[in-house]
Amino acid sequence: MYRILIVSDDPFLRDMVRFALDGLGAEIRTPGDRSEALRLARRVLFDLVLVLAACPYADCEAMLPRRQRGMRRPRIFFVAWQHSEHAVLSVLDGGVDQYMTFPVNLQRLRLKVAECLNTLNP
Amino acid sequence: MMHDLALLCCAAEAALVVGLVAAAAVLRLRRGRRAQRDAALGRLYLRIVMHGLLTGMRRVPAFPRIGRTGARGVLAQVLARLASAAYGLDAGLLRRIVRTAELEPYLLRRIRRSGGVRRARYLSLLARLAPDAAVGAAVARYASDRSRSVRFAACLVQLAADPSQALRLLACWPEPLTAYELAAVASMLRRGMLPVAYEPLLASPHRNLRSLGLCIVRQFGIEEAEEALLRIAASDAVPEIGCEAVRTLCALQRPLCRSGVLRRLRSMGRAERRALLRCMAAEGYASDALPELFDRDERLCYESLVGSYKCELVCP
Repeated sequence: MYRILIVSDDPFLRDMVRFALDGLGAEIRTPGDRSEALRLARRVLFDLVLVLAACPYADCEAMLPRRQRGMRRPRIFFVAWQHSEHAVLSVLDGGVDQYMTFPVNLQRLRLKVAECLNTLNP
Repeated sequence: MMHDLALLCCAAEAALVVGLVAAAAVLRLRRGRRAQRDAALGRLYLRIVMHGLLTGMRRVPAFPRIGRTGARGVLAQVLARLASAAYGLDAGLLRRIVRTAELEPYLLRRIRRSGGVRRARYLSLLARLAPDAAVGAAVARYASDRSRSVRFAACLVQLAADPSQALRLLACWPEPLTAYELAAVASMLRRGMLPVAYEPLLASPHRNLRSLGLCIVRQFGIEEAEEALLRIAASDAVPEIGCEAVRTLCALQRPLCRSGVLRRLRSMGRAERRALLRCMAAEGYASDALPELFDRDERLCYESLVGSYKCELVCP
């Protein structure tokens, strides 16, 4: 079973995306805050980390601990309110695989996540 | 006798203090419980709405405990937040939910009975629920409220109720739109509720429409608008709009050493020039771009600004 981690300080956004991803056949974890999410990301090998943030500059590197140990790194998707070219490029340079902006099309997000999971071997 | 009276007064005061503290504690407890109950109810409603939207449900889902006090408010908030954070949702189902749960009459009642900030909050909730023309007409009376936030929220409801009247409503708005108000209108644009046609806005004789046009150009990074921005920066009769055009050029990272920009810069006040310097530093302009634009003191200030921005980027 695939594992997805949803990171957000906003419980509404967390729940909204969690419900939108229901039925994808993945175990979805939604920790209550960022520090708990980081702890979880270090302990568990997730297939996909979905960060829903007001500001996209936080913790890109912290989400990639497995890469250093030679293990498969999780795919990282960012959904944020910032939409300037600078913000997007800097986040993509930081190792993020997909950047989407709010307001987000939930069907499209679900499709992207499903496509991403299909490219992985569970 | 006096001693007894003093003792009695002290006892009464102590009883009053204890009573007030107890009342405050009970109130806080009740508020906490209510917040917890609302959060749980909101989560349940969100789950129901999302399930309905993702399964393409035609009929309106049932919302448990919708008749309880505050439950309609919770549902209205869930739908409003959903509309803010997501687009491309089944508008028909959302509309049916709003109608079946009688959210519009509920919110109109709350708007009528409240005032000030609460009234503005209920109005902005209503604006995000895709209201119909009747609701737009019902809130028209708040367009002359004494509170600016209420007037603007009522304007947002009217915009959402009849997007074809957007330009007329914004042109009629008597005061210059603030950054917050422009952002609220731009977020409606982002959700597809209003058309994104910046050219007629930039050419409009109305200040607020030009301001909205600049906001759209900034938000969507429309580089094709450079000529129009230079024209506004060089010759707009409203100094604030001219400055905004320069800041928009800066946000698009276009070259600023142009005659029109230089002319506008000369007419800008010290604070406005400093604000522009901050924008330029944030956008990453090189200090070589400055000699023609700013004097020596401002260039020194810019270097320190660039230093601080780079420092933030390199060692967060």
